Amino acid sequence: MTSSLRTASLSRRGFLGLGGGIAAMGALAACGGTSGSGGAGKLQLVGVADQQKAVEQLVNAYGKAEFEVSFAPTDQVQTSVRTRLGAGNAPDVHVVYPGNGSAMSMVQISAAGLLADLSDQPWVKRIPSTLKPAFQNDGKTYVYSAGSSVIGAVYNKKVFQDAGVEPPTTWSGFLDVCEKIKAEGTTPIALGAQTPWVTQLITYALVPSTVYAKNPRFDEQMKAGSASFADSGWAEALEMYLELQKRGFFNDNPNGTTFEQQTAMVATGKAAMAIQVSAVLPDFRKQAAAEDALGMFPVPGADDEKNCWIPAGVTVGLGVSARSKNLDEAKAFLAFLGEQKNMNAWAEAVACIPLTRDASSKVDPVLEPFLPFIDGGKAVPFMDQAWPNAEIQPAHFAAVQELLGGRTTIPEALAGLDEIYRKKS
Amino acid sequence: MTSTIGSATATKGAAPGPGAAARRRRRGRRFLTPPWWFAAPALAVYALVVLYPALAGMVYAFTDWNGLGERNFVGLDNFSRLFGDESARGSLLNTLLLTVAIVLVQNGIGLLLALGVHTRIKSRSVLRVVFFAPAVVSPVMVAFLWKYIYNPAPDAGLNGILGAVGLGGLRQDWLGDPGLALWSVAGMVIWQFAGYSMVIFLAGLEGVPAELHEAAMIDGAGRWQRFRHVTWPLLAPAVTINLMLSTIGGLKLFDQVYAATNGGPGYASETLSTVLYKQAFVFGNFGYSTAIALVLALFVAAVSMVQVYYLRGREVSG
Amino acid sequence: MSPRYGLRTFGLELVMIAAAVAFLFPVYALITMSLKDPRQIAESPLGLPTSPKTDNYANAWTRAEIGPALMNSTVITVVSLIGLIAIGSLAAYYLSRQATRLGYGMYMLFLLGIVLPFQLGMIPLFKLVDAAGLLGGYPGIILFYTGVQLPFTIFLYTGFVRALPADYANAALIDGAGHFRAFTQVVFPLLRPITGTVLILNAVFIWNDLLTPLLYLAGSTRETVPVRIFAFVGQYVSDNGLVFAGLVLASLPILAVFLVLQKYVIKGFASGLKG
Repeated sequence: MTSSLRTASLSRRGFLGLGGGIAAMGALAACGGTSGSGGAGKLQLVGVADQQKAVEQLVNAYGKAEFEVSFAPTDQVQTSVRTRLGAGNAPDVHVVYPGNGSAMSMVQISAAGLLADLSDQPWVKRIPSTLKPAFQNDGKTYVYSAGSSVIGAVYNKKVFQDAGVEPPTTWSGFLDVCEKIKAEGTTPIALGAQTPWVTQLITYALVPSTVYAKNPRFDEQMKAGSASFADSGWAEALEMYLELQKRGFFNDNPNGTTFEQQTAMVATGKAAMAIQVSAVLPDFRKQAAAEDALGMFPVPGADDEKNCWIPAGVTVGLGVSARSKNLDEAKAFLAFLGEQKNMNAWAEAVACIPLTRDASSKVDPVLEPFLPFIDGGKAVPFMDQAWPNAEIQPAHFAAVQELLGGRTTIPEALAGLDEIYRKKS
Repeated sequence: MTSTIGSATATKGAAPGPGAAARRRRRGRRFLTPPWWFAAPALAVYALVVLYPALAGMVYAFTDWNGLGERNFVGLDNFSRLFGDESARGSLLNTLLLTVAIVLVQNGIGLLLALGVHTRIKSRSVLRVVFFAPAVVSPVMVAFLWKYIYNPAPDAGLNGILGAVGLGGLRQDWLGDPGLALWSVAGMVIWQFAGYSMVIFLAGLEGVPAELHEAAMIDGAGRWQRFRHVTWPLLAPAVTINLMLSTIGGLKLFDQVYAATNGGPGYASETLSTVLYKQAFVFGNFGYSTAIALVLALFVAAVSMVQVYYLRGREVSG
Repeated sequence: MSPRYGLRTFGLELVMIAAAVAFLFPVYALITMSLKDPRQIAESPLGLPTSPKTDNYANAWTRAEIGPALMNSTVITVVSLIGLIAIGSLAAYYLSRQATRLGYGMYMLFLLGIVLPFQLGMIPLFKLVDAAGLLGGYPGIILFYTGVQLPFTIFLYTGFVRALPADYANAALIDGAGHFRAFTQVVFPLLRPITGTVLILNAVFIWNDLLTPLLYLAGSTRETVPVRIFAFVGQYVSDNGLVFAGLVLASLPILAVFLVLQKYVIKGFASGLKG
C-alpha cells in the first residue's frame, strides 16, 4: 500500500504509540564513546516489525556483510528514522514505503535527496510497468519491495458453509451473502475501526471498482486538479461502506473495536469475515481452529463482474541512505534481495504476491482468486500511494470513524479530503 | 511549613541590610555557603543535553522545514497558522478537559486512598504497594492492556465485569464513542497514577503530628472537623506538589492518548501533544510542529507558575 | 487515626480491600491472558485459563532475546542513577543554601526542563551525539538520561534539603571540614530518604523509556529491554498471550526494585514535605 503495508503497518503496529512522552530525547558530550553508528563495514538496517521475519532470514542468507539489524513497531520506527534523516545520519538501509503519501514514503524522502538511486540494479528491469510509480520518482528507482499485497474479504469457511453461502462475485451477491449470514445470527463483517489503519480498508476495497474501473486516469486528473474526491466514485464507495453499516452487517461499536478483536471474531466464527489486507493473514490464522479454516476472496465492488477491480499495493520495502558510509555494500545487499529466489522468500514470509514470479514462486493458495485480476490489469495500487502529501491518509481514517459514528456526512467528509489534497507540499 | 517550590521565593528576599553586623553576617554566610562548583556539573550536563538542543530546536519554529530537505525562514507564519487552526483549538480544549479531569479525580482518589491506608488497618502495607504498583509500568504498556479492558463486546473486559455484577446497563463503547473516548483515556491514566498521588499525600499525612489530633479530639471535634481543621491545612504542601505534577503531566500527556486512541475516533480525543507529534512525524510539518511545541511549553510553564503562586498563598494563610 | 482496631476499622479494612480488588482487575486480565493461547483468549477473554500455559513466558524470553537486553538496561539505569544522584544532590544542596537572585534564577532554569516537550530538542541533540561519536554505546544514552532527569531530581532534592536544618553541615564547616567533605560525610547521609524517592521514580522512567534507546542504540549490541520487547510486540501483535507475557517480563524487574524500596519512597516524600 503505500501502502501495501504501510497502511497495514502504519497503524497496525500503531497501537503502541511512541515511547517518549514526558521526557526528552538525546544524549551527548564527548566523554569517549564505545562505537559509532554502524561504522565502516557494518551495515545498519532499521525496519518495521512487519518485515522482521523476511529481513532476518535474508540477512542470514547473505553472508557478505555484517549487519546491525533492528525492528520496531511502525510509529516508533517512523519517529526514530525521521529524526535520523532530519539530523543527516540515517541508517545505511531503512524502511521506505513505496509511492507517495506518507512521511516515510519513497517520493517524500527521495525528493529531499536522501535516498540512493537503485536504477542500475538488475531487478529494476523486471518491475511491471503498472507498478513503476510505486518504485520510481522522476524516472529513478529508490525503493526495493518484494511484491504486492491485496485487500479482500478474509472469511471463515465453516461459517460460510453453515449459512450455505459461497464467495460472491457481484456487489448485490455480496449483500445477499451478508443477509443470509445475519439471518443465522452471526455477524457478517467484523470491523475493528478503533485501529486507525483498519478504517480505510473497505473504502480501498471498493474504490477500484467505483472509480478506477470507470476512469483509470483518475490519479492524473486529481493531480491536474480536474477531478475531485467529492465528484467521483469515492462518494459511491463511501455510500456502499455505510450501507453495510445501515443494514447491520458490522459488529456493534466498530469504532471501539480493535484490529486484534476483529481478527479474533473471524477466527473463532463469531463473525463470518473481515475486509483486510492479505499481509495480516498470519494474524488471523494464529487464532483459527486450523491453518486452512480461512479463505479469502476479492470484494466485488460492482454489479457487473467486468467492472470489479481490486486493490493491490506494493508492499513496504527498503531503501539505501544516500549519505551512507557503506553505500556500495548497502546497494549490493539490495541487489541480492532483488534476485528472484530472495524475492520469493520475502514474499512468502509476508504473505504477499511476488513482484515477479518464476516456477519456484509460491503464492499463498488463498490468494489465488486475486491472480486473474493482477494478471489481467484490473488491479490498482493502494490509493494513498498516489497522494501528494502525508495528511490525506490520516484524514481519511478520521473521516471514516466520523462517518461510522454519524458525526459527518459523505459530501462533507470528501470536501475535507479534497481540501487537504490541494494543500501544498 | 513551606513547599518545595514555595521556599524558593521565600528565601529570595533575604538580602542582608547595611551595617557592620550585616557585613559580618554576610561574610559568615559566604563562609557557610557551598562553593559555586557544586552546581557546575549539573549545570553543564543540563545545558548540553536540555538547554542547548531546545534552543537550537526552537529555530525550526520559524521555518517551513518538513524534517527532511531544505528549510526557509518564514518568520511568524507558523504561529499565526496555529492561532487560526480550528483543529488546534479543539485539541487545546481536549487537553484542558483531560487535565482538569485527571487533576481532580486522580488527586481525589489519591487522597481517599491515602486516608484509608493511613490507619490501623492490617492490610495497609500490602495495599500501599498494590495502589502504587501501576505507576511503575510503562504507560505505553498500560495503554495496550487497557485496550483489552475497554473492549466494547458485552462479554469482555470491563463490560464483561459490569454484566457479571448485574450492572450490564452501564456497558459502554469506551473508546469508540466520541463523547466518551477522552474520559476513558482519563480513567486509564487515573488508574495508573492515583497511587502516585496517594504516596505523596501519605507522606504529608505522616507529617501531621498525632498530638494535634488528640488535642482536637479532647476538644470534642468530630471526624470531619478534625480533617477540615487539622489535617487539611497541614496537607497543603502535598497538595501543591500533587497538583503541580498532575497538571504538568496532564497538559503534556502523550503516550497514553496516542497509544490508546491515536486521537480518535475522528478527532474526538486529539490533544496538543498528539497534534504536535503528528505534525512532526506523520505529516512532515516539522516547523509547524515546533511552533506548537513552543506554545505548549509556554502554556505549561504559565499554568504551573500561576498554580504555584496561588497554592503557596493558600499554604501560608492555611 | 483511630486509637485502636475496632469495628469501624474493620469496616474500613473491608472497604479498602474491595477498592484494591477493583484496582487489580486490569492486572488480573494481564496475568490470565499471558497464560492463554490465542484461541483461548478469543473464546473466553475473561475466564481463568483452563490449562495455564507458561510457554508464553518461555517463548517471549527466547524470541525477544531479553537476556542480554536485561544487562544493558541494568547498566544504563544504574549508571544514570548514580550520575543523577551525585550531581543532582550536589547542585540541589548548593541551590537550597543560596539566598541570591542568581541561585533562585538557576533553580527556575532547572525547573524549566520539566515543562519542555521532548520533541523540541530532539534533532539538534541527535546531531550532537552523532558528532561526538557516542551513538550505539552506553556513554551517550547515560549522559542523556542524566541530563534529562536532572530537573525532576533537583526539584525533589531541593525541597528536601530546604527542610533540613543547616546546623549539622555548619558545625562540620566550623570544625574545619571542607565543603565537599561536609557534604559527603554529613549532608548526603541525611538525604537517604529522598534519595530513595529519586532512585525509584527515575528508575521507572529510564527503565521504561523506548524512544531514546531506539534512536541511539538501535541495531547495536546495547539494545534495552523495551526495544527488544516492542520489536517483539510489533511482530506478534495479535498473539495476545505472548505479548502480555512479554509485557509482564519487561515490568517485573522494576516492580521488584519498587517492592524493595517502597518504604523509602514514602519516607522520602514524607521527610521532604515536613518543613
